[in-house]
Amino acid sequence: MRILVVEDDTDLNRQLVGALSDAGYAVDSAMDGEEAYYLGDTEPYDLVVLDIGLPKMDGISILEQWRRSDKKFPVIILTARDRWSDKVQGIDAGADDYLAKPFHMEELLARARAQLRRATGHAKSEIQCGPVRLDTNSARVTCDGEPIKLTSHEFRLLAYLMHHRGRVVSRTELVEHLYDQDFDRDSNTIEVFIGRLRKKIAADIIETVRGLGYRISAEDNAS
Amino acid sequence: MRLDSIALRLIAASMAWTVIVLPLAGYLIYQLYRADVQESFDSQLEKLVTAITIDSMVDGADRPAAPPNRYEPLFEFTHSGWYWQIRPIDNQGGPTLRSASLATATLTSPYQLDYPPDPDTNMRWRNDAGPDGKPVRIVEVVDTLGHLENRPRYSIVVAGPSEWLEQSVARFRTRLALALAVAGLALLALMVFQVRFGLAPLQRVERALALIRSGEASRLEGDVPAEIEPLRDELNALIQSNEDIIERARTQVGNLAHGLKTPLAVITNEARNARGPLGNKVIEQAQIMNDQVQHYLERARMAARVGAVGRVTSVLDVVQPLVRALERIHAEKEVVISVDCPPDVRFQGEKQDLEEMLGNLLDNACKWSEGKVRFEVELETPATRTGRRRIKITVEDDGPGLSAEQRARIGKRGLRLDETKPGSGLGLSIVIDLAQSYRGSLKLDRSPIGGLQATLQLPAA
Repeated sequence: MRILVVEDDTDLNRQLVGALSDAGYAVDSAMDGEEAYYLGDTEPYDLVVLDIGLPKMDGISILEQWRRSDKKFPVIILTARDRWSDKVQGIDAGADDYLAKPFHMEELLARARAQLRRATGHAKSEIQCGPVRLDTNSARVTCDGEPIKLTSHEFRLLAYLMHHRGRVVSRTELVEHLYDQDFDRDSNTIEVFIGRLRKKIAADIIETVRGLGYRISAEDNAS
Repeated sequence: MRLDSIALRLIAASMAWTVIVLPLAGYLIYQLYRADVQESFDSQLEKLVTAITIDSMVDGADRPAAPPNRYEPLFEFTHSGWYWQIRPIDNQGGPTLRSASLATATLTSPYQLDYPPDPDTNMRWRNDAGPDGKPVRIVEVVDTLGHLENRPRYSIVVAGPSEWLEQSVARFRTRLALALAVAGLALLALMVFQVRFGLAPLQRVERALALIRSGEASRLEGDVPAEIEPLRDELNALIQSNEDIIERARTQVGNLAHGLKTPLAVITNEARNARGPLGNKVIEQAQIMNDQVQHYLERARMAARVGAVGRVTSVLDVVQPLVRALERIHAEKEVVISVDCPPDVRFQGEKQDLEEMLGNLLDNACKWSEGKVRFEVELETPATRTGRRRIKITVEDDGPGLSAEQRARIGKRGLRLDETKPGSGLGLSIVIDLAQSYRGSLKLDRSPIGGLQATLQLPAA
């Protein structure tokens, strides 16, 4: 899952990027409005954390322009202005959630998880595919109740496929959504990680669709 | 009508000059009329005495003769009020001649009473009583009645009834007083009309001000008389500057919020990563700082509102965007907020304040609910006729609710009953503060659908 963090305060930006990276997301960051707009317009993010008060271009305008050009990623607005009129304005501009500063990082992470689940159509915090169960709150994966230890890259890959279960996900899409913009995209790492995942998970839930990509079946009890 | 009203001042002033001028004019007219009547009466008497003097002189005779009565028939009737009398002054020159009306009575000669003669006509005038006791006006000519030297002097007297004169003048006075009284009343009515007509623009201004006060207008609009134009412009400028001050205060408060909250967020996050006793202390203190900032920001917003000209806010217009936003924010729980609000219910106060109160109550309800939130608005009829109408707003959820003891504690500032639910914990205390600033109230109770029922009472417009 790839997230864009837009925040002009250097410290808060660093903290946000740190916390989200630690939680297993690929994170890009922007410090001003123009950069944020450009990134959101060109990169396929799964979630944007957007500060309203930004230099060069304010958050509400950025959001409105994204929505006008049909960007559907969920947006969590982050701002010190916590009047209800501000919140309504933000939601009406196309935001999905609103978090007033100062906030607890745990709360931001919880809301981010909720938005990511919602965007992929999962109401519950746990996603089950056959014997494999992903708990998005605790970032834990189990197979038949047995915990599986995954590296963060492996976890990201599995989580993305499980969030989009039942759909063929191309290699390019995986690269775009799993790694931040500085990642070397020419590498063959996706195939390497798929191979490692198949080894670690006893059940063969990841299906290779030749020439298209990978798929995890949508059936809960598929084996 | 109040004692210090302009209308009363104008009417009182007009009445004052009416009361002074009308009687004065009446007195003058009366005096002029009286003098005129007197003059014409006197000139008649003058003509009579002159005629009688001339007619009494007989050519060649050494004493006067009774003149033929060619002038006034009433000289013939006893005590008619009209008399003449020719009487020698120096005890020679024959008997006294009288008109028949005098019978045997004698009129007193002004000459003998040392009345001075009129310098122009050489006649003497006197008011006296006639033989019958009624008042008469007497004119007297003292003459020798002839051209010869050493003839005896005579007093020729003519008297006319001055009672008639007095009656005529009195009649005129009564009519004059009546006419003036009618004129005075008509003037008074005209004055009242004039004052009302003249002050009508002021009443329009008064109505326009009432509209501003009730929030239906934000400016004093419409045509006003030239005298009130500066007042209107000043008032509009005052309203504008008032709004500007409030807007500035709001902006500054917002800037302060932004300025403080981001560093607070940074400190809190940094401390959370650090852990240990120092980190915990910093988190605790940062939380206190945040609560303080929040609390005083709310206070500042409320203070900025004090003195603002009254505003009216439609409850439905405020609640619809809130519901839209909250259903989206709590979309994961698929919360449905049912709204039952008549479109014409209006709150007497600032839109932002109503947004804060309803936003916090609804947000709380959404956080705790299992998917159902009810929002109801009722317009309460006042208990007394003069009492103000109030809005009763009920927000209910189907969540776990609160115990009676928890509900009692909730008003305390910053208190959070459940640390696991996100929120600063200030939500309800801000609602209580805001409601109280509008002389409203917040009551918490158990909802019939299971969870918490918050009842907010606010002034209606």
